[in-house]
Amino acid sequence: MKPDFLSDVRLADFTWAGAGPFGTKIFSDFGADVIKIESSVRLDSVRTGGPFKDRRSGVNRSGYFASRNTGKKSVVLDLKSEEGRRIAHDIVRHSDVVSNNFGPGAMERLGMDYETVRRIKPDIVYLSMPMYGEDGPRAELLGVGMTISAVTGLMWSTGYRADDPVGPGTHYPDHAANPYHAAFAVLAALRHRRLTGEGMKIDLSQVESTINFIGSAMVRCAAEQHDRPQPGNASWRMAPQGIYRCAGDDAWCAITVATDEQWAILAAILGGAAMAERFASVEARLGARSEIDRLVGAWAAEKGADLVAETLRTAGIPAALVANARHLIEHDRQLAERDYWQRVAHPELGHSLYASPPYRVDGERVELARPPLLGEHTRDVLGDLLGLSDTELDRLETAGVFK
Amino acid sequence: MTGETASGTRPSRPYSGVRVLDLTRQFGLYAGRLFADLGAEVILVEPPEGLADRQEGLTGDFARFAFLNASKKSIVIDEAAQGATAALERLVARSDIVLLERGGPFYGDVERVAAIQPRAVVTAISPYGMTGPMADAPASDLVLQAAGGIAWMSGRIEDAPLSLPFDQATMVGSIYAATVTAIALADAERTGRGHVIDVSIQECIAHSLQNAVQVWDLEQRISTRGGAGTRDATEDIFPCRDGYVFLASPLSLGASWRSLVAWMVEVGHPSGDALSQDRWVDREWRLTAEARAGFRTLFTAFTMERDKETLTAEALARRIVMGPVNRLSETFSDPQLAHRGFYRSVQLADGSAVAFPGPPYKLDPQVWTASPAPALGSADAGLTERAG
Repeated sequence: MKPDFLSDVRLADFTWAGAGPFGTKIFSDFGADVIKIESSVRLDSVRTGGPFKDRRSGVNRSGYFASRNTGKKSVVLDLKSEEGRRIAHDIVRHSDVVSNNFGPGAMERLGMDYETVRRIKPDIVYLSMPMYGEDGPRAELLGVGMTISAVTGLMWSTGYRADDPVGPGTHYPDHAANPYHAAFAVLAALRHRRLTGEGMKIDLSQVESTINFIGSAMVRCAAEQHDRPQPGNASWRMAPQGIYRCAGDDAWCAITVATDEQWAILAAILGGAAMAERFASVEARLGARSEIDRLVGAWAAEKGADLVAETLRTAGIPAALVANARHLIEHDRQLAERDYWQRVAHPELGHSLYASPPYRVDGERVELARPPLLGEHTRDVLGDLLGLSDTELDRLETAGVFK
Repeated sequence: MTGETASGTRPSRPYSGVRVLDLTRQFGLYAGRLFADLGAEVILVEPPEGLADRQEGLTGDFARFAFLNASKKSIVIDEAAQGATAALERLVARSDIVLLERGGPFYGDVERVAAIQPRAVVTAISPYGMTGPMADAPASDLVLQAAGGIAWMSGRIEDAPLSLPFDQATMVGSIYAATVTAIALADAERTGRGHVIDVSIQECIAHSLQNAVQVWDLEQRISTRGGAGTRDATEDIFPCRDGYVFLASPLSLGASWRSLVAWMVEVGHPSGDALSQDRWVDREWRLTAEARAGFRTLFTAFTMERDKETLTAEALARRIVMGPVNRLSETFSDPQLAHRGFYRSVQLADGSAVAFPGPPYKLDPQVWTASPAPALGSADAGLTERAG
């Protein structure tokens, strides 16, 4: 399906890099008109970041950019020029949402701050998502996704053992908490506008958003008044749980024994009635965690990860091979059966691969439209939306406003 | 501002008038929370003993219950009791959104739920989705992080893949469910036609793997834990006098790198000269194990003479991409969060007041509130009456 659920919504989208565009992509995927306003002088870092088609770099060849910008339009404008700014204001006048993820002050310098925008469009929904919020003593601290992990305690908490932080291997807050909290806030603001006629200013501090993603742990820490040791792959409440090495090159299986019944089954598979009885209670299993981990590990090490996972799942124990991207794309039967992967044609990327939005809607997949080439829609948007003539567009182009 | 109530919140809030029936059990609980904080009436249906997180001892998790169920109402329905199905159906009939989860009521009856209230958005959250060979497979948060591909991405290469802490499969699954539900609600309210959404947590996780899917598809490389060969020498955690800092100053963040080296030169630290040598302008070399080890030695010699506070203050002043690696408890005294009044005080079930995360987004007008998670069945009387 190509849903039109948001076809009455237009975004003037100034977001760039990872977290911002991922959050506005869900709007274009559901039919909103998302006009990405970008610059060919100061390029979106993800356009230049790769991975690239055939490993050849180019502003329209980045798979990372593609995955964050499906279905959007691209308009290039020199926002430092007076005419570029005037055109951007005209786009804003026709938009419902203005979105950005620059640091504090950047939108002011572009003449696109909330007060200015609200004068142009009084009921605008205005999304800012700087790292640490718009005001305060550390508002200007620079960061990437991993810096957000660091400041929030998520990095500290991701590790194998106490006092040895490892952190998430990706810029995780950019790929889940922050884009989707932002999208949820914009959707709520749009409903608020339908109810009241008033717009809304959304100041999303990516640090505060990410803290909510570990909110349960924060409440626990506040109540207990100390930092618990890092759980690693284990659990404070269940055992055994872990990621166990299997036969083969860098092959692993995740296993959780959540109940006493599951333990009885696992103990039978491992081959010991005595073991089943000795560790029958979760308290006993938590107390003997490393001993049990060695037993499970020894059993798993002799088998392929797929076999380990399949054996346990069939017996009713939560287990899964630790999948990498290649496995998910080429071998995961569940994702294949549910048509999770899409190939979308693109002039420079060919038929490259995309993950579908991770749900089926009324039994169908949301079909993605390809991401835009840099500046591909500049003339169309300015002509169709703003009514500029070809002569005027030619003049602006010659004057260097489209860059 | 006009029209505010005593608590500072507007009478009209984004989800005012929206009724959410929350039949989730674990992985979907945060979705209803997001709607509840913005004005929806979210009714959590619990079994007579309450959800597992309410229990004492190892079964329970009071903090998780308090966080994921704030702002909701609770009613008790004993699925085994006579009339339970009819009571649930009456609740469905008055709802705009119904959240289902595998293992909870009505998960196997999605079509019937949709038939009872055709204008509603029915969102079913499950580990692997409602269809496919894994539809019924047992799962846990850790197992879903493995099956979705994110466990693979973290950890050290010489050690096992490392999962993310604190139920991230729950958080990722819930937030995708909440956003698509909000989108479907906008359409349902416009057209009068509801929707059925089938959310797979495995797919949600596989959707949040940074660029790993494209790295394989376009360049046939597998993104793997440790970052060897892909992360710049500076992108890492480094020890300092009283803990750790995280730095990121690859050449693509050139201003940060130049400022960092200039700082070390300015204070006369020998690492400044070493890092000024030509080889540090070679992007490719900076990805090697040799560069990583070399940088670690040089930079740690500098950071070990300083504490987190000083390093952060200098990073701020000198525009260096670096921040403290905070413990969870340190966020309670973080000056930026304190300035913004982020943490709130919320009363737990035992009567104690604790710091509680404020909103994930600051909204103006102020339409966000979080009230304490409900006592078991605290909304029974009112809702039974209305539902009946």
